[in-house]
Amino acid sequence: MSRALLLLAATLACAAAQGATQVLVVSGLGGEPQYDEQFQQWSQGVAKASTTATGDAARVVQLSGSAVTREALEQQLRKAAEQLKAGDQFVLVLLGHGSFDGTEYRFNIPGPDITGSQILALLDRIPESVAQLLVVATSTSGAVADRWAKANRVVITATRNGGERNAVRFGGYWVEALSSDEADRDKDGAVTAQEAYDFAVRKVGDAFKSDAAIVSEHAKIVGADPARFVVARLGQAALFASDAQLIALRDQQAGIERRLAEVRTLKGQLSQDQYYDRLEPVLVDLARLGERVDSRLAALGVKDTGAAHATP
Amino acid sequence: MQRPETRTPQTRSIVRLVLAMLLSAVALQAAAMQIDYDEKRAASLRKCDEPLYHGQTVEARACFQALMRATTDPLIQAESAWALGDLRGANELFRQAVAASDSAVLPRVRWGRMFLDAGQNGDALRLFQEALQISPRDVGARLAMARATLEQFNGDLAEQLPALLAENDSLVEAHLIAARAAIEDGKLDEAGKAAQRALALAQQQKRPPLEAQGLLAAIEVIRNRDPREWTEAALRYNPRYGDMFVSLGYFEIIRRRYREADVWLRRAVEVQPESSAAQRELGLNLMRLGNMAEARTHLVKAYEGDPFSTTTVNTLRLLDSLEQFEITRVTQPPLNLQLNKSESAAMLPYVEQLARDSVATFSKHYGYAPTQPITVEIYPNHDDFAVRTAGLPGIGLLGVTFGNVVAMDSPSGRKSGDFHWGSTMWHEMAHVFTLSVTGNRVPRWLSEGLSVYEEWTSGPTPGVAVTPPVLDTFIAGKLLPIARLDEGFLRPSYENQVQISYQQAGLACLFAEQRFGFAKVVEFLRAFNDDPTTAQAIRAVFKVEPEQFDREFDAFMKQRFAAYLADPKRWTELMARAHRLLEARNWAAARDAAQAAIQALPEFTESGSAYEVLATAEHEAGNDAAAIAGLEQWRKAGGWDPATTRQLGALLAAAGNKARAAEVLASVNYSDPLSAAGHDKLGDLLLANGKGGDALREYQVLLALQPLDTAAAQFGLARAYRQTGDTARARRSLLESLDTAPNYRPAQKLLLEMTGDRPP
Repeated sequence: MSRALLLLAATLACAAAQGATQVLVVSGLGGEPQYDEQFQQWSQGVAKASTTATGDAARVVQLSGSAVTREALEQQLRKAAEQLKAGDQFVLVLLGHGSFDGTEYRFNIPGPDITGSQILALLDRIPESVAQLLVVATSTSGAVADRWAKANRVVITATRNGGERNAVRFGGYWVEALSSDEADRDKDGAVTAQEAYDFAVRKVGDAFKSDAAIVSEHAKIVGADPARFVVARLGQAALFASDAQLIALRDQQAGIERRLAEVRTLKGQLSQDQYYDRLEPVLVDLARLGERVDSRLAALGVKDTGAAHATP
Repeated sequence: MQRPETRTPQTRSIVRLVLAMLLSAVALQAAAMQIDYDEKRAASLRKCDEPLYHGQTVEARACFQALMRATTDPLIQAESAWALGDLRGANELFRQAVAASDSAVLPRVRWGRMFLDAGQNGDALRLFQEALQISPRDVGARLAMARATLEQFNGDLAEQLPALLAENDSLVEAHLIAARAAIEDGKLDEAGKAAQRALALAQQQKRPPLEAQGLLAAIEVIRNRDPREWTEAALRYNPRYGDMFVSLGYFEIIRRRYREADVWLRRAVEVQPESSAAQRELGLNLMRLGNMAEARTHLVKAYEGDPFSTTTVNTLRLLDSLEQFEITRVTQPPLNLQLNKSESAAMLPYVEQLARDSVATFSKHYGYAPTQPITVEIYPNHDDFAVRTAGLPGIGLLGVTFGNVVAMDSPSGRKSGDFHWGSTMWHEMAHVFTLSVTGNRVPRWLSEGLSVYEEWTSGPTPGVAVTPPVLDTFIAGKLLPIARLDEGFLRPSYENQVQISYQQAGLACLFAEQRFGFAKVVEFLRAFNDDPTTAQAIRAVFKVEPEQFDREFDAFMKQRFAAYLADPKRWTELMARAHRLLEARNWAAARDAAQAAIQALPEFTESGSAYEVLATAEHEAGNDAAAIAGLEQWRKAGGWDPATTRQLGALLAAAGNKARAAEVLASVNYSDPLSAAGHDKLGDLLLANGKGGDALREYQVLLALQPLDTAAAQFGLARAYRQTGDTARARRSLLESLDTAPNYRPAQKLLLEMTGDRPP
């Protein structure tokens, strides 16, 4: 079975097991060729990573260049509201420039800009049983962070308020996170929204520090449990859902991880030596299981099994 | 000893101002008691001056207070308020005096004098200029301007003073200014004559002899003779004349003789304990000696007497902030390494290693082993460093050495690639040795020259890095003769001369080493223990006349830089052409132009150098071996930019030369150590090269930088511990890694290896 087929199989299994994820990536007007090119690249990066995360290219819609109009954006959001069902996830990523006049946020697109209120009205049509991740990587995006907040939503903005007006770097680092082992801090092969956010925030800070420049953007995250959104999958994580033997191994892995969680609850009560003595055999079991997973992946024709893997 | 910023024209111009600031921060205090020699001074004020100049402060205060009440003249009231220490009141009264007449010169001059005394030089200069616009020939205004020029080290006194004295040779203050300028230029005979003339005139005109006696005492001190004749005479005139000892301390400080300055400043405080200036200067000098606790005591006293002194307030704030620092004491060699707690763990390994290396290198070079601890202070906040150095924020220096104390900027306070902290530290540590072996008598140019020479030959960025402005200055015939090179540092006469003088001094040392041998250079350095002039030392050690030295240096320059000097415009054109072709993606032509530019001036390694163009062109053309060769050549010539060095490291690693890649990437730690990504890559390469100990350092630094990916950092640490044979720590680090990321496959594999589940 080819890797593409494996991935497809994984996608189907994944979708069936966990509900579908729909992603809409929109890159706005650059205003200058360098920004147009940059936003286009970022948009492609997000779309590519979203395909690995959802397992289905059809579930990822990318609007960029002249295709981005207010009507097209409204149409896609209406469509999402119609199609998504309880348990599904919706991810909206806006990349580009934004503006804020003290009252209203505007996402800069060809033709008339779309306002924060207009986007919000469309997002509110999506059933509340659908979890939403809204990533607004534009200048002044902080203006919508609290306004868009809702129980079923996580809102991530590149700035902390509408006053941070400079073109943002956050989007670039968000995209970098989606293919970075460094961002995947727990090495489970999946980059969550929380991990990508932490990565981008750190990199933005480092970049300003390295340039000895005044920090002109401070990202913000609003909403509960951003780690529930997987925004990218690295390595072979997706294969776990496609092969019977791997599925069985995944179940065993889940069992070991439960034991691990039990030991971790003792961390505050035990001395460090005692804690790690208790932890080690569980980790060894998990590592042994990893060997078996590697063997199975090798049998499936996957050459490099050195990368991280885990339950999707 | 200072290490200036070198990166931009803007920062270079700052250097010149800063030099003035560093010295004038002390210089201002030399004239804390203002003596007005002007014959136009009102008789009523003179009556009160008398007890003041004799140290009878109670009587003087009573006199000025009575005068304040008795007169309605705002100028006399202003002078009285100033003498009573009421600067705010005096300021308002001077304002009234100036407002009363658009054409009055005297109130403007005196108001400006008060600003000058308070260190507000901008306001002072504005008022002096205003006065000179009203009356361009006014002697008082011209004298005030000359005094300001002297105190700020930023103008040319050579024209101002002779003109004034040609008109009237009996101006006491003009002779005093001439004497002080001559002392600062090391022209002691000239200074002595001027001071004697000022003394005779003061006595003749019944003015206080105090300043003249103070300068004569200073000349004796600089000549290593007992100044008692003059100090006792001054104290007989005014037993509370602490300013004289502050002045003696100043002349010691500008010669970097901080311990000797301490003696005079303590006398100043003893004679005049109520003098805030004396207390402040003693406190600041104690900081130069590394005695922070006692420094605080005197600075607090200075603050109590003068809460408006920016220097005092800034320095006390700095002392408060030292709680954020931690000191690591090394016994062999004796070192105190003071780093901010926020970056100490990440910086310390490199700072300590470089400090040890520098002590070992310079001990060998100069035959001197330090017995007292050398303190290295590294400030993440540039303004803290500036206050530490000059008492004022906003200076353009990178590092300063006060005897055994080195203070410098941390790389964290600057843009990556902005400066090479390792070279700065190497430069400053060289000063510690050249100052120590000469009892601080080494001339400024030689100490700077040897520090630059050591940067070029033994430091972390070896390579004679010379910039075109130095060569253009050479072509213009504006490099100073060796015997006068100090003037280029102390009294620069054209833009960037301080910066040019650094490189000229380095080149002079390089020439001397090649012409006479390094042993002779060290002998030359040591000759300054006997306080000769540069000319005398050249004759005594190199056995040539200074003019001969200059001629041979000239020939050395013409030979070494022949390609550039033959046609300086060609180099500029080649550089522009290389960059233009690179942008046009014409790799072969860009390469050819870059190679020609390198041949014309191989010493140019700064950002945008021809080496970088060459490497990029070769890389883009698919010839990585040539790109590597170009960048290796760049490094050998002194190139160090962290981004370009990382690029070379990556090319080497990709070419399979892991050992060299590790060497190259390790050098980035001395320019940009606080970037987490580099340590991970370097650690990995070092492990691949079997250098577990070095890898361990890299992963420890990485963790100190609080990386996002702690699992990977702990895993690296585990591998490094394992390679060094520390299995227990390797196990703990590995378990910590897996505790964070239980399914981290490489760490899992190592765990199985370590528990015997799986063969390595």
